[in-house]
Order: sequence, then structure tokens, then C-alpha cells
Amino acid sequence: MALLLRTVARQGQCLSRSQFGVLYRHAVPMGTTANEEMNKFWAKNTRLNRPVSPHISIYKWSIPMLMSISHRGTGVALSSGISAFALAALVLPESYPYYLDLIHSMTFGPQFLAFSKFALAFPVAYHTFNGIRHLAWDLGKGFKIPEVYRSGYIVVALTVLTSISLAAM
Amino acid sequence: MASLIFLSTFCQRGIRPVLLCHTHLSRGLVAYQKNRDIEAFHLAAGRIHTTSAHCISNSRAASKHWTGERVLSIVLLGMAPAAYLCPSPLLDYSLAAALTLHGHWGIGQVLTDYVHGDAKVKLAKAGVLLLSTATFFGLCYFNYHDVGLCKAVTMLWQI
Repeated sequence: MALLLRTVARQGQCLSRSQFGVLYRHAVPMGTTANEEMNKFWAKNTRLNRPVSPHISIYKWSIPMLMSISHRGTGVALSSGISAFALAALVLPESYPYYLDLIHSMTFGPQFLAFSKFALAFPVAYHTFNGIRHLAWDLGKGFKIPEVYRSGYIVVALTVLTSISLAAM
Repeated sequence: MASLIFLSTFCQRGIRPVLLCHTHLSRGLVAYQKNRDIEAFHLAAGRIHTTSAHCISNSRAASKHWTGERVLSIVLLGMAPAAYLCPSPLLDYSLAAALTLHGHWGIGQVLTDYVHGDAKVKLAKAGVLLLSTATFFGLCYFNYHDVGLCKAVTMLWQI
């Protein structure tokens, strides 16, 4: 939009001064990068405290949308979990087997343990399988809408099956 | 948008509605002031400022980063069955490195999407770098002083 404005404005300036003989209608000298333009947009709109139109609060949710945000959600959750584990390893005084024995000594029912294993395996499995789906997209495959839905259903099915098998181990 | 195209055709034809062309001129002046800073921008001579070498090297770096992310994902994918079939200290440390880097780059993408403004981006990226460094250090510490990542998962599953 700004680009068009500038191009048009330059034309107006050019034509209004007769000493400029060269008309370069199609030249696009850009003074700013896309990143700078984006930052200017955000700075201006937050400064003016402009309200944002409702978008995710009104748009109808679809399977691809859900799966995409779940991929991000599981990724962030897993990354946080790994960081928490690593920081705990640095901070906690005792060794890993000690804490495992502590958990082992607590009387949890077998269903609870199986469910906990399922809850741990599920985000890993989902992020892995959906990650493969993403890699297929990066190769340019599977963009047709029916293909997107089909691959999505396969990812969810594989995730559930894998999580159940891992929880049973 | 349509009105601008309409106006531009007016100006080209030389019809000068005074009001409209005034705004054109003032905008043109503003645009011209900004562009004065760019070297090799001459209205009369018609020299055209192309994308600078700095911008090209930026997009080359971004492209390499993207490829690196995908390569790392594939490597990490291979480590999963390897860790199950032949656990070893080598795999422990490789897993620690691949996992932290994959997570670091992933969180970086989340930041790029949701954090705006140069200062906030810099601060957030510094924070994530600190966290990732601490994570990698913690995992290596665990691998060295404790049972190691592969063994840890095996032990956890045997509860």
C-alpha cells in the first residue's frame, strides 16, 4: 500500500516538474526493508492504541487450524519440559535414580501410571508425526485440500496408536 | 486503492484537480525526502536503486537457516529409533545437542511470529539463548554425572 502510494506520488511529482525528462514508472526504489515496514506498522498501531478486529475469536475452527496450533503447542510444551528437566538436573541435590525410587515408593494405581505414560508419550508422538507431515509440505507434497485433511487424519490416528502402545510398554 | 489508481490516471493525463495534486505533491515530497538518503537515487539521471548487497546476504542467511532447521529435524527423527535400539553415551550427547538446538530454533520462530519491535525482539531472543544454553549445559551435566538420557527414559518407563 505504501509502495503504491510512493510510486503514484513520485509520478505526480515527476510530471509536475517539467525539467525531469526521464519517466521511470516501473522503477521501485525502496527506502526501507520489509522488516522495517512491519516494525513501523506495529509501532504506529500500538501507539495509537487501535483496536484489532476479531479474528481467531470469530473464525470457524477447522481441522488443519487445530492441528497447526497443536503442533506449536506441543512443541513449546516439550521444549519447556526438557528445559525444566535440565534445570532440575542442575539444581536438585540427589541423583535421578533417587527421585525415581521416590516416585516408585508412592502408591499409584497401575491405571494412573499407564495414563501418565500415555500423557507423556502423546505430545511427543503428535509432534513427531505432524513434523513428518510438515517435512512433506516442505518438499512440496500434499498441499491439495483433500490431501491436507487425509494426512491430518493419518497423523492423529498414528499418534493415538503409538501413544497407547508406548503406554502399554 | 481504486481511488488512487483513478487519481494517478488523472495526473498522467495532465488534468490537475488542484486539491488532489497538492496532496500528491506533498506525499511525493515526503517520499522524495526519505529517498534522498539512498545513494544512487537520481530522478533526473534515472539511475535505479536495486536491492543492496546487505539485503541479499540477509535473505541468503535466512534461507540457509531454514534449510538447517529441516536438516536438523530429519537428523533428530533418526535419533529416536537409534536411541531405542542402541543407547550409548554418544547418542546421549548427540540427543542433548539436537534436542536443544531444535527447541531453540523452534521457540525462535514462535518469537518471530508474536513479538514485534526491535527492542522487544532483541530482549526475547537473548532470554531464549540463555535458556537454551542452560538447557544444553544441564543435559550434558546429566549425561556426565548421572545415568544419561537414553537410560533415564528406560528407567522411567520401568516404574
